[in-house]
Amino acid sequence: MLHIIHKITGSFLFLLFLTGTALALDGNELLRQVDARMQPQSYEMYRKLINIEPDGKKKEFVLYTVKTGQDKMVALFISPASEEGRATLRLGDNMWLYIPNVGKPIRITSLQSVIGGIFNNSDILRLDYHVEYDAESITEQETTYQLELKAKSSSVAYDHLKMEVDKKTLLPTTIECYAVSGMLIKSLHYSKTQDFGDGLIRPSVLETDSPLHKGYRSLMLFAKLQKKEFADEVFTLNFLPKVNELR
Amino acid sequence: MKKGLSTSLFLSCIMMLLPSLLWAQDEFSFDLEEIEKKALQVGGYLELRGDHLNINQDSVFSNLNLAAPEMSTMDLIRGSIQLDGSYEYGISSLNLRLRAAAQQDTIGWTDISDVYSAYLSVKPDPSLALSIGKKSYKWGKGYAWNPVGFINRHKDPNDPEEALEGYVTQESDFNKSYQGLLQTADLTLVVLPVWEDINNDFGERDNVNLAAKLYLLYMDTDIDLIVLTGNSRSNKIGLDFSTNLAPHFELHGEAAYIQDHKKIVLLEDNSTSVREQEAFSTLLGIRYLAENDITSIIEYYYNGGGYSEKEMIRFYQMAEAGFAQEPTLGSNLLDRARELSIKGYGRPQPGRQYLYAKFTQKEPFDILYFTPGITTIVNLDDQSYSISPETVYTGLTNWEFRLRFSLINGGEFTEFGEKVNSNKLELRVRYFF
Repeated sequence: MLHIIHKITGSFLFLLFLTGTALALDGNELLRQVDARMQPQSYEMYRKLINIEPDGKKKEFVLYTVKTGQDKMVALFISPASEEGRATLRLGDNMWLYIPNVGKPIRITSLQSVIGGIFNNSDILRLDYHVEYDAESITEQETTYQLELKAKSSSVAYDHLKMEVDKKTLLPTTIECYAVSGMLIKSLHYSKTQDFGDGLIRPSVLETDSPLHKGYRSLMLFAKLQKKEFADEVFTLNFLPKVNELR
Repeated sequence: MKKGLSTSLFLSCIMMLLPSLLWAQDEFSFDLEEIEKKALQVGGYLELRGDHLNINQDSVFSNLNLAAPEMSTMDLIRGSIQLDGSYEYGISSLNLRLRAAAQQDTIGWTDISDVYSAYLSVKPDPSLALSIGKKSYKWGKGYAWNPVGFINRHKDPNDPEEALEGYVTQESDFNKSYQGLLQTADLTLVVLPVWEDINNDFGERDNVNLAAKLYLLYMDTDIDLIVLTGNSRSNKIGLDFSTNLAPHFELHGEAAYIQDHKKIVLLEDNSTSVREQEAFSTLLGIRYLAENDITSIIEYYYNGGGYSEKEMIRFYQMAEAGFAQEPTLGSNLLDRARELSIKGYGRPQPGRQYLYAKFTQKEPFDILYFTPGITTIVNLDDQSYSISPETVYTGLTNWEFRLRFSLINGGEFTEFGEKVNSNKLELRVRYFF
């Protein structure tokens, strides 16, 4: 009798463990935690983008970026001189590019690239992953979680992502970006975890390569990423020529 | 055992250092000095441009505009500089844009310098900005033309992204963000005086004009309502919009109504009269990014204040008659044709209906920063056109190289058939600093 009770209790505890594991492995919750570890919701940061060609030739761009809320973001080019003053604004699915000489913002799309190379506008104006993607599945491996993410709408640049998350730090290590057709568009690799202060410890380098552009690489280096609040009016078209004044 | 431990420690150290060694080897550094902000900022570009033109001999405008109409080709070399500067102090900033150019061509030497903008701006709050001084305006959503650009300078549809000279204005800008269908509302008020030495090329003197633009981002659509009132130009009211119908498909349009549009018109007896009538102009365009990275911009423009095909032919015929006149008998018709050319018939895109199309391919064959493209402008009334293939390369940091060939074609008494040149080869090099 006692043996049977033990068996039932054991099965119950096993079921409870399974349920607990399932709860612990809620993909969308994990995605939220990944986002929270990557950046505050409102922040400013500097990024250097480096395009590297197969022959080793490099071209660098430096951007100042501010973000507030879930989907308001501005990126301003501060170098090189040929790009200085260009600013891109994102409000949800809407994106605009302001070029000082042109003097007015024009609508752009997420898959265009304002700098050339493998990074496109959606990489430069990336929102939190959980804002644009739903976790469809999650698998646990020895040191990582593997997340399968599906875009919430067709306006998102990549139809689905395969994200590898480090179990200890809950930071992404590799993300593969796929088109609707299932074609791999690019792979993103995070590295060089760094303490940005205020408890923010996250990768400071993002490297990308693409099977569509063999031999080409692009890097994004992050610096001075810190929490900061901005008025919503900063994220408007008429403010684009004035973004530099926020620095 | 000890040796094994030392070897492991050494290997561990190497493993730990490896990323930094690779880092150092690749020279990927982000020096914070690179992002240091300076109160005084100066930039701009130097440009060198060389053009070779085949003259459209016997065309109306080669006879009207060239001092030596018998020449068959023309070469020019042009150097220019654009200087952009700003100085920030607290909530205020001083902004300056200067441009100077010098040109040597087959006919002679010319040089010009201009203050494109010079204004003081004060921003007490992100939702409020005030400015006073010379400032450039580019209102409207159209790429090649802007019927609602009531206080814009005329832009060249062959180079619509070039900086333009401004007007002396006082501007107030108020903006507010909202949650919901209406995301942004922004009101810009511009006071534009026209006096003897200020903005005297805008319109009739001794008037103070007011232009206003209300911008709304409503249901993911940019909408502008624009008005111009004052006595220097006719009263105008307009609307423009831009929206993404799909992530890679943008639609934009403009509509402008001019209450009393004044137009100088050549009559059948070669006399002229000034007509005052209402005019309605529209523009409808798309921007589409295809999967193969070809960006297409296509615009249709109806210029309600323009000349009909019949009116243009009458002008060309009068000019032709002027060229045929005996010089000893004077050249009244020729003088009048030159005058009419300046007052309207010789302006860029003087006709009624136009089509603009530009196709660019981003980085074909994996050639980074290389963008070939082709642009065409068609006068839909007389079927004349220009077609311009070009290549742009920006692979060297701060350098831009552009090679463009333009073929300008049309029959007798058509807009592009009567231009000064029948084609043009142009090489432009810019260095940004």
